[in-house]
Amino acid sequence: MPEASGRDALLVEGTVRELLPNALVRVELASGARPAVTAHVAGASALLRLRPGDAVIVEIAPYDSGRGRIVGRR
Amino acid sequence: MSVQKAWGELQKMARACRIVVDTLDVLEGAAVPGITTKELDRIAQETIEKGGARPAFLGYRGFPATLCISINEEVVHGIPGPRRLREGDIVGLDLGCVVDGFFGDAARTVAVGRISPEAERLTTTTREALVAGIDMCRPGKRVGDIGHAVQTHAESHGYSVVRDFVGHGIGTSLHEEPQVPNYGPPGRRERLVPGMCLAIEPMVNVGRPEVDVLDDGWTAVTRDRSLSAHFELSVAVMPAGPWILSEPYPYAQEGAEEVANA
Repeated sequence: MPEASGRDALLVEGTVRELLPNALVRVELASGARPAVTAHVAGASALLRLRPGDAVIVEIAPYDSGRGRIVGRR
Repeated sequence: MSVQKAWGELQKMARACRIVVDTLDVLEGAAVPGITTKELDRIAQETIEKGGARPAFLGYRGFPATLCISINEEVVHGIPGPRRLREGDIVGLDLGCVVDGFFGDAARTVAVGRISPEAERLTTTTREALVAGIDMCRPGKRVGDIGHAVQTHAESHGYSVVRDFVGHGIGTSLHEEPQVPNYGPPGRRERLVPGMCLAIEPMVNVGRPEVDVLDDGWTAVTRDRSLSAHFELSVAVMPAGPWILSEPYPYAQEGAEEVANA
């Protein structure tokens, strides 16, 4: 029986609210109930093009729901 | 890192794997047009218990049966039920058992009656990919070499390998470290050492590699609903090379010498 190859992280949609220092971005999640997360950008080049208002896909760590990685645009 | 098994433990592993493969032989004979998958599950459970073992999948993370049956576009983890096998189906049978605290795990895709040349080619290629993977189970190789061998073989025939499920270490539990993907670059991941036991299981699709899990929470199907095949054997890494724990190699001779002589 094969094992599920775990990407444990949860993928959610959100909107860029604010660019922070240290290549961090504050993202407001589309499911508004949850608080905004502070997210790292996966891949530096993508950072240059991110602006507040951009729709992005964020991968949220299973252990710390306040942190995430931006893995793509929506 | 996976546990290195002692000789006595490997003997127990071999016993469990023997029972699994013997049961698969029985099931392959029973997979004829008209039989229900539930009936095959019953045969699987009876045969395993007759062999003095316990089903490993029954109750594993809530799986409701002894046998995983995956027909045609179903990749793995199909649940037995009232569905009847039809002439021309290819049926993945995946089975595990526990004896004396050690697990055996193996799978094969069998033909129901006459199957299309395309289905035939797919199952043959998947079996060859398994052999290619097993051949990498030598001390000094790495887990990535296994995946690379499997992927290269499958893709050279125009097929794709499933990413969402992977092979695994096996021993005193069904799934142990390390994970053994069927893809990826060679020379990466964990180093293979003697006494490691791995379940190597290529899942190969005719179409795209993506899979979806149905609403039952288990059955994985190809997203494009193309045919998929699955073969699996449990192997120990030995100083002299791979030891298929359910020796001898259970399929037609092609490829068998390759492992024996390499």
